[in-house]
Amino acid sequence: MLRLSLKRRRALLPYLYLAPGLAWLILFFLIPLANQANVSLQTGNPETGYSFAWHFATYTDAISEYHTQFLRSLLYAGIATVLCLIMAFPLAYFIAYKAGRYKNLLLLLVVLPFFVSYVLRTVSWQLILADDGWVADTLRSVGLLSSDGRLLATTPAVIAGITYNFLPFMALPLYVSLEKIDRRLLEAATDLYASRATAFRKVTLPLAIPGIFAGSLLTFIPASGDFINAALLGTPNQHMIGNVIQSKFLNILDYPTAAALSFLLMSMILIGIFLYARVLGARNLMESAG
Amino acid sequence: MTRRDRIRTWGLGVWAGLTLLYLFIPVFIVVLFSFNDNKGRFNFTWQGFTLRHWNHPFADSDLAQALQNSVSIAVISTLIAVTLGTFMAMALVRYGFRGRSATDMFVFLPLATPEVVLGAALLALFLTLNVNTGFVTIVIAHVMFTISYVVVTIRARLEGMDRHIEEAAMDLGANEWTTFRKVTLPLIAPGVASAALLAAAISIDDYVITSFNAGQTQTFPLYIFGATRQGVPAEVNVLATILLIVVLGLMAVNVAIQRARSRREMRIAGVEPADIGRELAEATARG
Amino acid sequence: MTDPSVERALERLFLEGGVSRRRFLGRAGSAGLAAAGLSSVLAACGGVKGESANAPKGTPKPAAVNHPKTAIGQLTFSNWPLYIDKKVIKDFDKQYGGTTKYLEDINDNYEFFGKVRQQLTRGESIDRDIVTLTDFMAARWVRNGYVEPIDKKNVPNARNLVANLKSINYDPQRTYTLPWQSGGTGIGYNRKKTGRKIESVNDLFDPAFKGRVTMLQEPYDSACLVLCGMGIDPSTAKIDDILKAIDKIDQAKSSGQIRRFTGNDYATDLSKGNVWLAVAYSGDLVQLQADNPDLEFVFPKEGSMLFTDNMMMPKGVAHPYAAETMMNYVYEPEVAAKIAAYVNYITPVDGVQEVLAKTDPKLARNPLIFPDDAVRSRLKSYPALSPADERTMQDAMAKVTGG
Repeated sequence: MLRLSLKRRRALLPYLYLAPGLAWLILFFLIPLANQANVSLQTGNPETGYSFAWHFATYTDAISEYHTQFLRSLLYAGIATVLCLIMAFPLAYFIAYKAGRYKNLLLLLVVLPFFVSYVLRTVSWQLILADDGWVADTLRSVGLLSSDGRLLATTPAVIAGITYNFLPFMALPLYVSLEKIDRRLLEAATDLYASRATAFRKVTLPLAIPGIFAGSLLTFIPASGDFINAALLGTPNQHMIGNVIQSKFLNILDYPTAAALSFLLMSMILIGIFLYARVLGARNLMESAG
Repeated sequence: MTRRDRIRTWGLGVWAGLTLLYLFIPVFIVVLFSFNDNKGRFNFTWQGFTLRHWNHPFADSDLAQALQNSVSIAVISTLIAVTLGTFMAMALVRYGFRGRSATDMFVFLPLATPEVVLGAALLALFLTLNVNTGFVTIVIAHVMFTISYVVVTIRARLEGMDRHIEEAAMDLGANEWTTFRKVTLPLIAPGVASAALLAAAISIDDYVITSFNAGQTQTFPLYIFGATRQGVPAEVNVLATILLIVVLGLMAVNVAIQRARSRREMRIAGVEPADIGRELAEATARG
Repeated sequence: MTDPSVERALERLFLEGGVSRRRFLGRAGSAGLAAAGLSSVLAACGGVKGESANAPKGTPKPAAVNHPKTAIGQLTFSNWPLYIDKKVIKDFDKQYGGTTKYLEDINDNYEFFGKVRQQLTRGESIDRDIVTLTDFMAARWVRNGYVEPIDKKNVPNARNLVANLKSINYDPQRTYTLPWQSGGTGIGYNRKKTGRKIESVNDLFDPAFKGRVTMLQEPYDSACLVLCGMGIDPSTAKIDDILKAIDKIDQAKSSGQIRRFTGNDYATDLSKGNVWLAVAYSGDLVQLQADNPDLEFVFPKEGSMLFTDNMMMPKGVAHPYAAETMMNYVYEPEVAAKIAAYVNYITPVDGVQEVLAKTDPKLARNPLIFPDDAVRSRLKSYPALSPADERTMQDAMAKVTGG
């Protein structure tokens, strides 16, 4: 390695950096995934066995039958992502600029609820949001909830659950991106522009775009495949594509459809990422940087 | 600092505090119910305060083992994922190479794949390779799906980062490894730390993929999911609380060590810590 | 069906090519498993032989089963969490000098099956000596030949099995299965909220309770219970009847009568009064009542489901004698009483009520744990459906429950 010229070394470097992680992903993700692609085009059932048949009808049937759940998943995940952004941005900003030496502690606090298992967290919300509970009563007395309304087993409950569970995935990338903005830049901007609001809009926000991009993706993508919030906090009218895939796979043993639904979801997400990157003018994030 | 700035800072602090509070409400309930004097096996109705669950929290050795497994898996898989992911992020951000955009998109795919399909597909691979499922396969699975989080998070740090310092270091004669260690790494440290926290959190809470690839190994989430059929015992709440306290404690120790170290360094440099403190406070207030 | 010429070719390859069959097929070992080996190769190429193709031909008849006595060494027992007093395991180990590995890794019948399915279809061992699965899943395993027959000579205490469980539709002579615990699927309700006693399945459809009812997602439980209310015996029901029941549930859902469909998570809703009636399991109500005395459980008068979790030995079991000794041990009334006292479900062992009457009379009188004969006569078992019908049922129910 040392005998190679500097130029050669520099050229090899990206591949060297990439190799271990990529190898891991290829072996433990791509190969299983390719197998699933194979499965999605098979026909058959558990008794008579499966055979590869280029059966693309599985995909078209899946879209026509479950387009509601697909759209619903994207909608819920989208709303949750926006809510996460609204809630997490000021939090990330505060930690990045105002927290001083307590930065790492606050970051830890953001993530700490995950160390308490998912089941316990969701059960706690079910207790808090109970129909006769304190929260529901308060909302009723204020008039935000109708007298026979409920908080659980509703669409807002599911979206709130998704938002709650993915908040750290938005907050941390936002923090990471905000923290690296040079404070002197902000000072200069404040001197240049009349108001801090303008400084924020013209300097901070654009520089935070990588963080917003990263956070949105880390929130939206897994949220659209989520099933557990809809299962525990929703009714059948809130069930997402994740629930369909779950039952197809485990209960109905319809592996080709489950695989096809997964690939359809993945394609939608990839297209969404691509469009989103364009919208943010972040195409340069994808192509070679300076 | 103007009054408006003070209000703005105060408002920001309140919002941040409320958001953190919101994140912690269920946690408070979990901690609270570890003291619940429940009569049956379910733990939903407050019956009164008791310390009895705290007497022998580790009595069920299987539950204790499950918690231990979860923690070990989280630590190991985080270390591996952060290492692999950091290097991947660096390659993707800093170098143009063939297949870069494709690799970029590829990194998002694990996030987009539904867990049940991912878990079962991975299990199929292990079975075909004749690998016994257990602790190791869980770690492999966890690394696999946390790498994406790590890469995306560290990219947000690397993007648009000024490379001049690193180039200067290399011009001065440092090789790539030294530059990375002494210059790059400290610069991306917040990204790495955040990525590590995320990866650990995901790993310690994962259920679906783990359940497929765990073999006969038990983890904390697996145990709890299974226990919901009969009622999650309050000892689980106790253990969860203990875990939180331990992690917070470690972080508090870390903060204290950092503070002592920076004080010592400043004293060595002949600077009074108090001055630095005041300057920092003013600077942050302005910023 | 495996092509015999291909199979022979494979055998020749193994013998001549120096590739040991063991290494190629993994943990497979017996004769019929060359077929399984072939299917694992095919799986990689995109075609998989079905379950029926892999079912071992000529399953040994019960009389021919012989598991000779061996030392009780390590025994791996997979069960649901919190389903045993761990002391029983310790006592067993002490008495027989064993080292039992007790795994609480069955969280859900379908998930567990999903986890071990590939090994089962390939005829490989799943490294467990006993698994405990609910009737409908046990039926699937028996039907597909995933289980070993029990050597009854090693389980004399099986005679303590309660009369109504001595035979079951998918295993008429209890050749492969031995009940672990039973439970009832009935209606759990909040007496205060409903304002009256609930006695009928059709109370679930009473408009007075609109939006206050939950049903279990599992069609074996919900649809079959509704069938009872329609006057049809679920244990002999056909798929058409079941689909009618699912239709009825669908209408109730659309009208808003049913709030949602649950797994085990109805307990919070019931406990907090969000829900007034829930299709529920008897054992859960025993626990919930302790903290909320307003809650009651009823085995509806038209009938309700009796589900049983059954001990079975997976095919290729490594320690059959040890497994059977464990089964025998937990069928001693004193031991069964310990388990019943801890688990609070319906024990399948006769004589437990008498044992508990001495140590815990209140428990012995609990009608949810020891239902009287009148109730027992109304308890029905799950129907034995063909795989295709089962899938039709699951599919139809999935459409209703949104999954």
